[in-house]
Amino acid sequence: MKKKLLATLLATAFAVTTLVGCGGSNAAAPAAESSDNKTAETTEAADVTADAAATTGKQTDGKNVPVLTTEPMEITLWDISTEDPNKSIAEAAVARFEADYPNIKVNHIHQQNDTYKQQLVVAMSSGQCPDIYVHWGGGPMAEYYKSGFANDITDMYAKYDHPEYVEAAVAQSSYDGKMLAIPFSGLTGCDIFYNKTIFANLGLEIPQTIDELEEVCETLKSNGYIPFTLANASKWTGSMYYMYLVARHSGNAEFDAAYTQENGGSFTSPAFIYAGEKIQDWVRKGYFPDGVNSLSADDNQDRALLYDGSAAMMLHGQWQVGGIKADNEEWYNENIGVFRFPEDSEAKAAGVPQNVEIGTAIGMGMTFNCFKEDGSVDQDKLDACFVLATQYFNDDTYNAAQVAAGTVPSIKGFNENIDDPNNKYCIDVFFNASNVQLWYDQYLPASVTEVHKNCMTELFGLEKTPEEIGEEQDAAMQKALAE
Amino acid sequence: MEKGSNVGLAKARARSTAKAATVFLLPALVLIAVFIVYPVFDTFAISGFKWNGISADRIFIGIDNWKELIKDEMFWKSFKHNLIVMVFSILLQIPIGMALATFLDAGGKKFNIFKIIWFLPYLMSSVAIAFLFVYALATNGGLISSLATLIKGQRTTVDLLGTAPNALYTIIGVMAWQFTPFYMVYFIAGYGNIDTTIYEAAIIDGATRGQYIRHIAIPLLGPIFKTACTMSLIGSLKYFDMIWNMTQGGPAGTTELMATYMYKLSFQQFNMGYGSTVAAGMFILITAIALLFNKVFKVKEDY
Amino acid sequence: MTDNNKTNTMGQTKEVDYRKEKIKSRIAWTFAIILALIWLALTLTPFFFMIMNSFRKQFDMLQQGVFHLPDPWIIENYTEVVTHGFFGYFLRSVIVVGVSLVLMLVISAFAAYPLSRMKFKLNPFIYAGIVAMMSVPMHVTLIPVFKLTTAVGLYDSYWSLIGPYVAFALPMSVFILTAFMKTIPKEIEESAEIDGCNRYQNFFRMILPLSKSGLSTLAIYNGVSMWNEFAFANTFLNSPNQKTLPLALGQFKGEHSLNIPINMSVLTLSVLPMIILFIIFQDKLVKGMMAGAVKG
Repeated sequence: MKKKLLATLLATAFAVTTLVGCGGSNAAAPAAESSDNKTAETTEAADVTADAAATTGKQTDGKNVPVLTTEPMEITLWDISTEDPNKSIAEAAVARFEADYPNIKVNHIHQQNDTYKQQLVVAMSSGQCPDIYVHWGGGPMAEYYKSGFANDITDMYAKYDHPEYVEAAVAQSSYDGKMLAIPFSGLTGCDIFYNKTIFANLGLEIPQTIDELEEVCETLKSNGYIPFTLANASKWTGSMYYMYLVARHSGNAEFDAAYTQENGGSFTSPAFIYAGEKIQDWVRKGYFPDGVNSLSADDNQDRALLYDGSAAMMLHGQWQVGGIKADNEEWYNENIGVFRFPEDSEAKAAGVPQNVEIGTAIGMGMTFNCFKEDGSVDQDKLDACFVLATQYFNDDTYNAAQVAAGTVPSIKGFNENIDDPNNKYCIDVFFNASNVQLWYDQYLPASVTEVHKNCMTELFGLEKTPEEIGEEQDAAMQKALAE
Repeated sequence: MEKGSNVGLAKARARSTAKAATVFLLPALVLIAVFIVYPVFDTFAISGFKWNGISADRIFIGIDNWKELIKDEMFWKSFKHNLIVMVFSILLQIPIGMALATFLDAGGKKFNIFKIIWFLPYLMSSVAIAFLFVYALATNGGLISSLATLIKGQRTTVDLLGTAPNALYTIIGVMAWQFTPFYMVYFIAGYGNIDTTIYEAAIIDGATRGQYIRHIAIPLLGPIFKTACTMSLIGSLKYFDMIWNMTQGGPAGTTELMATYMYKLSFQQFNMGYGSTVAAGMFILITAIALLFNKVFKVKEDY
Repeated sequence: MTDNNKTNTMGQTKEVDYRKEKIKSRIAWTFAIILALIWLALTLTPFFFMIMNSFRKQFDMLQQGVFHLPDPWIIENYTEVVTHGFFGYFLRSVIVVGVSLVLMLVISAFAAYPLSRMKFKLNPFIYAGIVAMMSVPMHVTLIPVFKLTTAVGLYDSYWSLIGPYVAFALPMSVFILTAFMKTIPKEIEESAEIDGCNRYQNFFRMILPLSKSGLSTLAIYNGVSMWNEFAFANTFLNSPNQKTLPLALGQFKGEHSLNIPINMSVLTLSVLPMIILFIIFQDKLVKGMMAGAVKG
């Protein structure tokens, strides 16, 4: 007994000392590591500054930008660029800025995408909101602004130099007539990616109208293919079909009306019913995979059906180009083509514009949170943030790297010179759009988004009728508007 | 030991007991107060406000949130889901865990390999479990659907995650898969805690292994058994991780649990005030059920 | 049948009973082993596929199906993970979990002792209070604890995790240990008290060693959940040189890009040490401590 106790005590003591030992050595290790990094960075930065001074000076020289403080300053920047290439592109932009303004240190933090919204809520509610943070625009951006975490940069935007963003990007960065964000992550279209090989084997043509699309689906179906691969456990994926059908049937008119719920606007108006019925008809005809609500896009289950050759088409965001390429470029080049969502010939005859496209013009925007303790604007800091976002993110180096990585900056003129034919096609569709409708799940108020997403499950699961989901979305929208 | 007169002995003893109890309990109570009790008070306080979670302005609205909670269908639906999960978790995890532990206890060292492999699911993170099960249960190329196709001889899809009520029961199955190993280890420890002399005495008395387990071991494990049920009960009422990674409450809210509902309201929908009300309601309900359970299944205690 | 020696000399009827028992138990064992093997397959399959998928490219995985064996096998996922600071993440996790676990075990054993073996007025109330704290959903504490962490200047330091990890494990641990300590016969303590031990000595000499099986269960339960804990770590830690292992996954997850095989290799690498530890320590679990205690 005594021996055992002694042994236990010894073991505990040993464990404790080991741990303490570990703690000491480890605490030292990262410190050493980071200081190493710092030295490396500073040397590099020094080199760059030296170079820059010798040749051209700051890259903002000669431009109409605010004069930045020479006092030491620290800026915290949050983004979700956890992965390369985005990560190194973003870090390079920050490095260029720090080289030109050595007194300003940017504390650049990459947050994880799936919990990013929660991170922002926690930080904002605890007085730790970063000076620059990224977001997807839409409802949440309005919420951040109303809660006092977004600087109104309308005047600065008018006064200083900045890249010429496309109108849709400026619109998406604004709320209530105020410019609240600087776009930085490029525009993204939403189109139908298809397997060229299957189409060629079956002698299929690219459909121009929804009727033709249905014929294509029938042919595919009778040859044993699943027409569309769709992973609707993620819900925003099914929403793409709904959004497009609404847009083709009514342009922007009915959605805009439903959004305000005024003048008879409703999610039960004809375009929404049309979209819902079409989708349910397609589900019944087997145009989507079985158990479509159990497949998850987060786990790439939609792509899997494309890869193994069982499905022929996929309506999805343009990021799929990069994604599929990263998985297997050779296969991508051989098999993947793209076409825009076909037109509604009846609506077209009735004069409804057929070039309202779904997507996002900014991907993400950067918003600034530069306020002093008393609530007034911290202009020095805001100036620095504005320069960083407009002149270092979004500069030529940055944009070239973005294009190389398959992202098209939301800046005029960047629709030229895109190598990848599918990317080029998507961008052309985007630029020819009369209007770009932001994804509903980012555009709608957050509480309505949740309802909308659940409705998509019920719609594709044939559990509720288009009328029923329309009413549910109306109710949620009215509740959100009342608040 | 304290010395005292005969009269004061009982009192002195009580005093020394109180002193010792305070010393032993203090560190735990301080930590719990700081990290748990305070946030609970905070949650109840926020439940009185209309607040988006980030703004400096909170509007005090008294008990409006609570009134809404009482008639909130989604909340009660989530609660019902939690209750279903709770009942099935206890019915699956505890008996299977007990059976596995009994098997291992009877088999001794030669079954170590079973023990190690059986324990693996508990070691895996929820992310990995969610991912693998989403694929294993997929309608296209998933293990279950492939198996069904093989058996029926024609293409068959078994949609376990995409439809109600399958999704909820599937989740319960996956939870059982994940947590049963823990109860197994827990009961092994319970068996280990039984005085070996009791076992020896029983065997000498001619009891068979089965008799020993039925008549001696299980009654002795009473308190352990009850704590296991309480753990499973509370765990399943506030479950979040894996369900979040697997379904996020879908399809169409049919696997929504109180915790996922609360998370969405508080952190995604800018409705912290009401989200806190849901959290507070959740806290009250879970505590009530846990205390009720412990009252109903009062195990005789002597100390 | 009260005495084994007698049974042997008894008549044939007993022999028959004996044989019957044996056959019965053989059938029972066969049946049990079949069930055990089924459960073995159920627990092993997902694990097996986690490892298999960590050895292939995402395209192959998606094209051939998750349940296809790797073809071809590649180890690039692992080299990628290991060259992205995996060991730093790993080491910090070891520190955080190690320190938290030791603290938590000591503190919860302290608390369980009076709750299980002392009579005082507040006992049932404190016990009920602690049980109630088990039902607190973790996410409500995020913001208050975050504020606390920034107030004491521990934001973005992995040391900040120890407080919440210990505190959150306490209610459940105290609850379990109390149950375990209640199974220790009261006589042991009484005899020690007669020997002149006070309560403190009692605790360290008798109760703590006798609770070893309870403590090791707790170590396993909390060790695993701390090792895999994501929400607190994700909220409190920002800098790459502070992050713990569960956050390593985030490095390989973009907004629209998720490389599943790389994630699987991170998960495989992080579960391995747990398995090794379990293999080493699982023996401690089955050893009954009581016999030793009574003899000692």
